[in-house]
Formats: sequence, structure tokens, C-alpha cells
Amino acid sequence: MKFTLQRLGLLVVALAVVSVLIFAAIRVLPGDVAAVMAGMNASPARIAALRAELGLDEPLVVQYLSWLKGVVTGDFGTSMLTGQPIAAIVAGRAAVTFPLILLGLAIALVLGISLGCAAVLARRCWVRSLLQAIAVVGGAVPALWAGLLLILLLGSGTGVLSVLPTQGFPQDGWASPGRALTCLVLPALTVGIIVGASIMRYTRSALLDVETNGDVIALAMACGMTRRRAMVTVGLRLATPQLVSVVGLTFAEMITGVMVVENLFALPGIGTGLVTDIGQRDLIAVQGELLMLAAFFLVVGFAVDVAHRTLDPRLERAA
Amino acid sequence: MNRNVTGKSSRLRIVCASIWRRPTGKFAVVVLGLWIAVAAVSLFWTPRSLWDTDGFNTWAAPSAAHWLGTDGTGADVFSWLMAGSATNLLIAVLAVLVAGLLGTALTAAMISARFSRGDADRGRGADADDTGSVSGTRRNVRVAGPAGSSALAHGSVVAVDALISIPTILVALMLAVPFGGSIWVIVAACGLSYGLNLARVARPAALLVANSAYVEAARRAGGSSWNVLVHHVLPNIRPVMTVQLSMAAGTSVLAEAGLTYLGVGVPSGTASWGHSLATSAKFIAVYPATVLWVGLTVTLAVLALNLFGDALRDAADPLTNPALRQNSARIVTDDDADGDHDYVTVSIRITEADE
Repeated sequence: MKFTLQRLGLLVVALAVVSVLIFAAIRVLPGDVAAVMAGMNASPARIAALRAELGLDEPLVVQYLSWLKGVVTGDFGTSMLTGQPIAAIVAGRAAVTFPLILLGLAIALVLGISLGCAAVLARRCWVRSLLQAIAVVGGAVPALWAGLLLILLLGSGTGVLSVLPTQGFPQDGWASPGRALTCLVLPALTVGIIVGASIMRYTRSALLDVETNGDVIALAMACGMTRRRAMVTVGLRLATPQLVSVVGLTFAEMITGVMVVENLFALPGIGTGLVTDIGQRDLIAVQGELLMLAAFFLVVGFAVDVAHRTLDPRLERAA
Repeated sequence: MNRNVTGKSSRLRIVCASIWRRPTGKFAVVVLGLWIAVAAVSLFWTPRSLWDTDGFNTWAAPSAAHWLGTDGTGADVFSWLMAGSATNLLIAVLAVLVAGLLGTALTAAMISARFSRGDADRGRGADADDTGSVSGTRRNVRVAGPAGSSALAHGSVVAVDALISIPTILVALMLAVPFGGSIWVIVAACGLSYGLNLARVARPAALLVANSAYVEAARRAGGSSWNVLVHHVLPNIRPVMTVQLSMAAGTSVLAEAGLTYLGVGVPSGTASWGHSLATSAKFIAVYPATVLWVGLTVTLAVLALNLFGDALRDAADPLTNPALRQNSARIVTDDDADGDHDYVTVSIRITEADE
């Protein structure tokens, strides 16, 4: 409990620090935020109006605090381009990105854990070596390339087996769940394979670690379990805290792949949106989106640390 | 100084030989060597000029004139890949350098409390019998403020724990807003993320070393915090760090590819593997073969870096590499009755019976 509270305090501090950094990143821009946002050939009057509208004439501290006040109440401001509230825009994009992340993570976990176990437990040596080789090579493949190869293999139009759509997302979103889901299959598979390869490596080394350090597996076998059964029931449980930590870290790295994959498959998700907004210099939107993403990852990090504690009671006793 | 340890060069030779003996290590060394060689050559010569475009010869199939064909502007794909290898090598080296410096600094900060607590404990006793010491080798152990040091240690642990969940790409995007996409943004983002990662991974090992008897001995021998850190702690966590940095180099190549594709990496016009991958990706439906070669290059390079890290881990660890265990050790004795400390260097050879 003490740990959770401490970690929660840390989360709040980290959020504050990150929000300052993001705010500073937008403000240290060479030139004037308003001038950049208004565009190349805006009149000075337009820029001045924009400055006043965005409150850029105020001191930086006042600007930061008023931004923070908005953020706390859920008001991230409005987009320069569409005039919509930024929170609503991001919510719409998250409806694409989160299912993609969850689907990708599910594929990665199923592939990674089962193949990782198999890489330790397979009876034949060449099967173990082959699985290990797959995991190592899989970890070296760029997400973009994996996506392109899958398009060449399975994508409709270009693919060898042209079965799955490779571009876009239905206009009406999840109103047609079947079509929306098929649009996510290839992107999720791309993310899942990339992340699955690293989860597979971690599963393998965590299992081997449990087996060689300590007598738990030997004890379980002495009690009558087969090695395979002992590894799957006892070993995997002991490896779980370590795996949760690693998956948490992998998750943070996974988002690079997710952003690339969203772009490649033209999905209107958070990654595509953020890159577009940066390109179009919609700085107020960029500021809000960066903060939301950072907050999301900090919360995930918090959850992973707490889960690690809960799953491994030995740490509690040691502390 | 009568340092009677096996020389650095022979240690290096043992590690290199062990890496070369493994098939994966051999593969890694060959690919990395090839990469460095190609990068060096590309600075002076590429088969075609990068800007030698030909609007009538776009997306050409591989031929004698264009070994990997041409891209959408008719430029030679192979030449761009060659030039890209230099950019990616530069990014990898710089990212590793930044990550290494940051990671080492953070690790040192994290274990600084260990030193100062030891100082404080020892300080009280040692200062008393130290005052009259005439021995030139002994210096007064400076008593660092334990409160300040432990705040530094605690602060750095907290900072690493909190910031490690921020992905590389988010840092890169944040930097790209004010500065635009450039090699430096990639280096800074990768260096920051991997530096944090490095500190997190190296911390347990560093703590183990900081609490060890030989560090204690070095402190008693009068080594300053800095001295002990540089000569005793860092050399002992170097294997852990080198492996991590090797992996970080591989990840920097992947990050470059992703960031450049998203438009916040290497600016267009600069050759890089990410650039080659991104240009061929746009026209995958028209001409899919180009993307195969470019992707294969990137994958091989990253694979080589990862395998090199693996091989290095096994080769540089005395626990897994018996050849390294035949070192002599230095023992410092502290058994004089008059309180004056004498240092006796003893050589012990630990040799495996069957080696």
C-alpha cells in the first residue's frame, strides 16, 4: 500500500515535469507560436488577433497555469484547423488506435508466450533452435518492413493471397463493426508479430532463468510433475512478474510501431493525427495530444509497477 | 603501482576470440565490418551519384547499371543504400555515445548514496586514527554529506522509474516540433531513452559492486569516490553496459526507420536506410521488389548488432567464459598490529582443471 502511494506520488510529479517540458518544447520554437500557426502569408493583424486569442501576450507562467487549469478540467482547447475541441478529436482517433493496440497486444501475447514456452520445451533440438532463430530475427525487423511484407503476402490487390484490406478505415467507424475489424486485422498482425517476437525472447529467457536459478522446477518434478507441466504451471507463474515488467516496457516501444503501422495502413488513429497536426503546425492541438500520450504511458508504467509488486509478494517482504 | 593483473590487451584478445568462435558472433562481426567498410567507401564513392536521376528510367529492375534498380526519380537504389549506411552508422554511434554517457552518469548518481553512507560510517572511526597518518598513499576519505548524496541517489532512481515509460518516439516528436526533423533529434531521443534504460538495467549490477568487499577495500585504501567509481565500479559493470549499448545501437536503426517514415526523422534529401525504406514503401503496389532489398539490409544490420550484443555478453562474462577466469587477483591485507596498513600484492591463478 505504501509502495502504491509512493508510486502514485511519483506519477503526479512525473506528469507535472512532462507537462512543463511539453509546454516548453512548443514555446522555445524559433519564432512566434502565433506567426507559425497563422501561416506564411498571414497579415500582421491576423497574427496579433491570434496572439490575443491564444493568450500569448501573457507571461509564460500565466499561460502555463491557464493551460494546466484547462487540462485538469478536461478542456484541451480547440483545433486551429477544424475548430473542434481537441479532446473530442483525440477521442475519435483513440477509437481506432486502442482497438489496434489491444488486438496487436493480444496477438503478441498469444504468439510470444506460446512460442516462447515451445522454444524451451520442444523435444527436438532443431525445433528449439528454429524457434529461437525466429525470435531473434523477428526482433530485428523494422515495423514498416513487416507491414509491407504482410501487404505483399495478404493484402487485397497486391497480395499473393489477396484477402485483407490494406488501406483506410470505414467512414462511419465502428457503426459497421465487421468492416472496421477487417481493416484492423493486417495492422494488428504487423504490430503483433513485431512485439510478439520480443515477448517470445523474454518468455524464453525468463523460463530458463526460473529453471536454472533455484530448485523450484526440480522440486515440482520431484513431486511427480513432468518437466513440461512443471514449467508451464510453476515456471510460467514465477516468470509472470518479470514478464509483466518487460511487456510494460515493450508496450512503450510498441507505440512507434503502432504509429508507423497507422500511417502505412492509412488508419485515422492517434499516431497519424499527431503527425498530421505537427506537419500542419496546429500547435495547441499538438501540445494537448503530446500531453495525453505522455500521461497515458506514465499511467501504464505506474500500473505495470504496481502489478509487478502485486504479482511478486516476495518484493513486499523484502522491502 | 604493482598491478599484477592480466593485461588489458590479452583480456580483449580473449573476448574477441570467444566472439569469433561462435557462429552468430562471426556473422555479427562480418556484417558489422561490412557495414563500416561500405559506410567508409560511400563517403568517397558510390556507383552512381545520388542526384543522378533519370525520369525515363524510374522503378527499373536490377541490372548491370543499377544493381538494385532505380527508385521513383530514377536514382540508383544501391547508391542511396550505400550512402545511407554512413548516416545510420553515425546515428548509431552518436546515440550509443549519448546513451552511454547519460546511463553512466545516472548509474553513478543512483549508487552515490552507497558511497557516502560508507563514508559516513567509516568517517567517524577512520578520521580518528587517520589524523596522524604519514603514509603518502593514504588520503583522508572525504565525508560527503550523506543527506545530499542520498537525495541525489533517490532523485535519480525516481527520475529513471518515472520517465522510462515515455516512448522514444514521443521524445522525438516533442523535439521535432521546435527543431524539425534531423539526425540530432533522432540521436537525442534515442540517447535519452536508451540512457534511462541503461541506468535501469545497470543499477542492480552497480549496487552489487558498490557493496562488494573490493570497493570497500579501495575506499579504505584512500580512493576518492571518483577514483573508486572509475577504477572499480565502472569496469565491473562494463559488460552489462556494453551489451545494452549494442542492443541500443540496433534499436536506433529501427527508430531511425520509423521516425523518418513518419517525417520527423532524417530530412528528405539526406540518404538513410529509413529514407530508402520510406520512398520504396510509398510505391509498394507498383514496384514491390525494391522494398525487399532495403528492408533486408536494415534487418541484417539490426540482427548483427543484437547478435553481437549476445555474443559479447557470453564472451565478456567470466561466469560463462572460462578463458577469462585465469586471471590473477590482487589481495589487500590489513593485518598490521600498529594500525599502519600494508598492501601486499599476491597473485592467485585460478585455473580450471580441464582447461
